[in-house]
Amino acid sequence: MKTKRLFKTAMTGLKTHKSRSFLTILGIVIGITAIILVMSIGQGAQDLILSQIQGLGSRTIVVIPGREPSGPSDIAQVFSDSLKEKDLNLISRKENVPNAEKIMPIVFGGESSAYGNETYRATVLGASADVFDVFDIYPAKGIPFSESDVRGRQAYAVIGSKVKTELFGESEAVGERIKIKEKNFRVIGILPKKGQVSFFNFDEIILVTYTVGQDSLFGIKYFHRFIISADTEENIPKVVEDLKITLRNSHGITDPEKDDFFVQTQADLALRIGTVTNILTLLLVSIAAISLVVGGIGIMNIMLVAVTERTREIGLRKALGAANRDILRQFLFEAVILTGIGGILGILIGALLAFGVSLILSKALGLSWTFSFPVFGAVIGFLVSGIIGLIFGIYPARKAAQKNPIDALRYE
Amino acid sequence: MNLIEVKNLEKIYENGENKTVALGGVSFSVEKGEFIAIMGPSGSGKSTLLHLLGFLDRQTAGTYKFDEKQIDEYSEDELAKIRNKKIGFVFQAFNLLARASVYENVKLPLFYSDIPEEEWDAKIKSAVEAVGMSNRLTHEPGELSGGEKQRAAIARSLVLAPEMILADEPTGNLDSKNSEAIIKLLDELNRKTGRTIILITHEESIAKYAQRFIRMMDGKIENDKKI
Repeated sequence: MKTKRLFKTAMTGLKTHKSRSFLTILGIVIGITAIILVMSIGQGAQDLILSQIQGLGSRTIVVIPGREPSGPSDIAQVFSDSLKEKDLNLISRKENVPNAEKIMPIVFGGESSAYGNETYRATVLGASADVFDVFDIYPAKGIPFSESDVRGRQAYAVIGSKVKTELFGESEAVGERIKIKEKNFRVIGILPKKGQVSFFNFDEIILVTYTVGQDSLFGIKYFHRFIISADTEENIPKVVEDLKITLRNSHGITDPEKDDFFVQTQADLALRIGTVTNILTLLLVSIAAISLVVGGIGIMNIMLVAVTERTREIGLRKALGAANRDILRQFLFEAVILTGIGGILGILIGALLAFGVSLILSKALGLSWTFSFPVFGAVIGFLVSGIIGLIFGIYPARKAAQKNPIDALRYE
Repeated sequence: MNLIEVKNLEKIYENGENKTVALGGVSFSVEKGEFIAIMGPSGSGKSTLLHLLGFLDRQTAGTYKFDEKQIDEYSEDELAKIRNKKIGFVFQAFNLLARASVYENVKLPLFYSDIPEEEWDAKIKSAVEAVGMSNRLTHEPGELSGGEKQRAAIARSLVLAPEMILADEPTGNLDSKNSEAIIKLLDELNRKTGRTIILITHEESIAKYAQRFIRMMDGKIENDKKI
């Protein structure tokens, strides 16, 4: 029998059992919906994280103290004191790292801040004056601190928009004195609303000079990070190599295996985060895929019931000239059409839900979340649902095809 | 010319130790254009014989020649093709698809034929017209009387213009008035188009339309006479 005729026959079979057909595909619809939803949100999360990393600029290189963590148990190594003032001076010399455009040391930590009776626990970021250029954020009110403020150990603070609101409400903040960890700081600038850039939410941050940060706030003689920008993107590998050599010399390390620091480029970070979100998405998708198998078993179950129920119809069709393979194909087609429709419905519903989630995340939470339709996921989802129809339809269809026409006709 | 030639046709069901003889050696031949009534008590083997003649079942012994061809060696697929092309079935219980219109029901055999789809509509309409049901094309079986249902079923058996119509108690579920209308329709088909008709019936009033009676008893032909 021709495919077109088969399709028509199968459609007639399905149409005569509309509500049951619909209930049959629910499992598939839910499974595919879940997969599309997870893939779309996973993609959105990845895009969001990557766009935030890119906020730091693609030429940015970060030197992190401690050994490069190779697994979750290695995390303690991150908090190390190996990056010292001496290292900063060495890598700042042109002859050591010729292609470095900017070199910025930073220290950071959570500290409570206070103005009058109001208190707020903010992230305090101590940096050099390059911080405004590196993160591309400048005070909307007031002024940034300068390099001479850094050297002169001025207790100046540039505060994020949320810090300002929490401490000052509507009243004027620039020029006022706030307390950070019981030390006095003068507010000289207020940052515009910016949200997350790289590791920091700039709305909840207090920027101070790293010199004051080290001495007065954190009481440390080392740095948490060096943030370096290469002069061109092509020179990134060279800068990374120069940084490594300079720091190894400074630390007296000969075996790279024993490095007490590691260098990360934005490309590394993007790759790493991409891998993590991909693994998470894969995990969630495979959980959702289990529901597809359950849905497939549901289809097989209903198809078997249908085969028994339609025994007379099968017998009649055979008497009228249907060969075994015609019956087999008819039932197989019905199963595949069912799951195919289930797949399409699932893709549509999943995409709609994902779009809804992206609206909520971007409108209600203020994230720069973009909806993305997982084309790959949709194609795979559609194919998988068809294949499930094929796999779980074959057993009932074979049972139907093997029915003896006389037994089938006599069946009451 | 003989349409059917059967020799020593046997059908024996074996179920472990038990042997049931449904048909115990039947020989006869049927010429093209004959109208035959098979009669006999239940269990006499008439339905089994009709199933064998209609290629719905295979004999356990004996030979069956249809249209000059020995069909014993045919595969299941080839038998399905012959059923489709050469034979029209009419059943006691009508066997119409419940949620499909008369038109859709009559269309059913066409799905399994080689006839191009452009010709389907004309064939369906002429078959439906031949049984006088043109005004019921879009009705579903639930909206039809018993007699109309059987007419629709006969239209379905006619749509591919088969050599032979096999009817298994076609009037068994109908009242006497409708029964007579249906048998007259079959009689007319036989006389007008020369189509071979073999029907099983319990009723003498139906059987009297046939030109030949085969009376069966215990799996054998007891009596075979022409008028």
